[in-house]
Amino acid sequence: MGNLTALLEGFATAAQPEYLLYALLGVTLGTAVGVLPGIGPAMTVALLLPLTYSLEPTAALIIFAGIYYGGMYGGSTTSILLNTPGESSSIVTALEGNRMARAGRGAAALATAAIGSFVAGTIATILLTALAPTIADLAVTLGPADYVALMVVAFTTVAALLGASPVRGLASLGIGLFIGLVGTDTLTGQQRFTLGVPTMSDGIDVVVVAVGVFAVGEALYVAARMRHGPVEVVPVGGKWMTAEFWRRSWKPWLRGTLIGFPIGTVPAGGADVSTFLSYAAEKKLAKRPEEFGKGAIEGVAGPEAANNAAAAGVLVPLLTLGLPTTATAAVIVAAFQSYGIQPGPLLFTNNSAMVWALIASLYIGNVMLLVLNLPLVKIWVKVLQIPRPYLYAGILLFAALGTYAVNFVVDDLIVLMVIGVVGFFMRRHGYPVAPLVVGLILGPMAEEQVRRTLQISQGSLSALVTSPFAAVAYSILAVVLALAIVMRVRRRITRPVDAPQP
Amino acid sequence: MTSSDTVPGPDTPSGTASVPTSAKVEEYVFGGLVVALGVFTLVDATTITARGPLGSVGPRAFPYAVGALLVVTGVMAIVATLRGRLGPAEDAEDIDTSVRTDWATVAKLVAVLVAHLALIDLVGWPVAAMVLFFGAAWTLGAIWWKALVVAVVLALVVQVVFASGLGLSLPAGVFEGVPLLDG
Repeated sequence: MGNLTALLEGFATAAQPEYLLYALLGVTLGTAVGVLPGIGPAMTVALLLPLTYSLEPTAALIIFAGIYYGGMYGGSTTSILLNTPGESSSIVTALEGNRMARAGRGAAALATAAIGSFVAGTIATILLTALAPTIADLAVTLGPADYVALMVVAFTTVAALLGASPVRGLASLGIGLFIGLVGTDTLTGQQRFTLGVPTMSDGIDVVVVAVGVFAVGEALYVAARMRHGPVEVVPVGGKWMTAEFWRRSWKPWLRGTLIGFPIGTVPAGGADVSTFLSYAAEKKLAKRPEEFGKGAIEGVAGPEAANNAAAAGVLVPLLTLGLPTTATAAVIVAAFQSYGIQPGPLLFTNNSAMVWALIASLYIGNVMLLVLNLPLVKIWVKVLQIPRPYLYAGILLFAALGTYAVNFVVDDLIVLMVIGVVGFFMRRHGYPVAPLVVGLILGPMAEEQVRRTLQISQGSLSALVTSPFAAVAYSILAVVLALAIVMRVRRRITRPVDAPQP
Repeated sequence: MTSSDTVPGPDTPSGTASVPTSAKVEEYVFGGLVVALGVFTLVDATTITARGPLGSVGPRAFPYAVGALLVVTGVMAIVATLRGRLGPAEDAEDIDTSVRTDWATVAKLVAVLVAHLALIDLVGWPVAAMVLFFGAAWTLGAIWWKALVVAVVLALVVQVVFASGLGLSLPAGVFEGVPLLDG
């Protein structure tokens, strides 16, 4: 019952006018960046990091959580109304949602996405509330070797299991790990890869890397092949909510939640996988499967719910283990660290008031998002129509500003540009950028845990695998990897001529 | 593996013909850079001073592992490219997949960024920001005078917000001493 009291206290904190304003700011910003192509929640949180140093941690984290949830809502509006989908987790929504909009049923598509997101977000937040303290209690008993195992699992799934090219994903991870190495070694105080430059001895700031790879990289990438002319938005038509709407939507919402939450919780790459699974499930269960591909509402309701449930699920390993499994989660870990707080099992004991206020703000944020995204959807349609030259010029300006505001030195802007150019070429050649960010943030933590394990075991490498938890984790990983390889080989056999994708 | 996909000639019917050579060259170069970064990591790691109690892992071990990862994945990416398996370019809403890469625009944007970072210490942040926004918007196709108006307003608003509200002040440069703009 202690948790319920703590949650109520969290609500008491989060319901104070000041914190409500921060939550509103966060969800509004989040929806805006979700709606706008070219920027996502990861980059926005990174950009705001230097600007929020003057706030207390609870306020800043409430803003960041709002951005995180808001980005998921906003993305669906874009994929339904814009002819060209973006944000990977809502691509599936575009399949049916965009068709619905073009067939004059845009209102119903937007409504099922927003209400589905709300239902799933709220149920998943309840599950998070119930599960997180228990998992944190269990996680306290984990030793350094167990953490190493968890990080290896996260690295492998984020870099190699998702995405089209495991090799390129691992290369991206390697680049991130390398950037994480630059600076002063925490255990021995030795300089590494600083090239003798004094500003490098503090390492390369996470903000600079995240903003470089997301904002500058994306802006250059879009600039190289930009779609010119006015932005084509499908007009919102049709009835919002009818009896048929509710009858056909409620089951997919619940199924999407059940699929999304567990997938978000395990390090399996967050939202993308869950939306594909939910879409497949809805298609299989549909009474009229022939409607799929022509604008079936179930194909919007299910994946959108799964998407938001997964987003909440990602917070479970993030808060209880300090383990980020998506790029945005990795940046949020960096945000915690910038306040001297390490997310992980001790968070619920050491920063109990803060973490419960944060969880309470998630419930509040979900309600705000429902209002922001349903009655006020017209505003976001306007935002979506910002002429692209101004949008990308603005992204570049705020990227440079956010980077400069970290230390007020021009050196950081040089690093920003170099990383931006790297991000540009990575996008051109199928190197996913999420592993880079996850590697950058988890890398130093992984190194520390490996070295601590080996210090305790006096150099015996077997200590890394002999703990029961670690052994189980590695075994599961091995099975999953084997399955993935079998599936890849099978796919290659069925498609013998290995045509490269353009 | 059939023999046709080991040597993707320009006339192979399997679709390889649609891959422009420039894309392949770029892939090789990028893969080569990954390998080069790995080699640098391995070589430079040997210069890290490693002292510590016996039996503990020093500051070199992890860099060696990262260097090895980069070399191996870089080589594998090159091999994959050789076999015709190129990395698929990322999708985005504002990308027109039917047009060729406009390198001039990319170069101009990089030049604008360089100008911005060079100007901050010379003339202050507001002017440098105007140059960045105006230059980028104009390069991307905005009408020049509209872009200029937005650039001036945006830069000054941000400067005022920083100077008055956030307690972080950006260098005012040419606006030094001006009320509101100089924090």
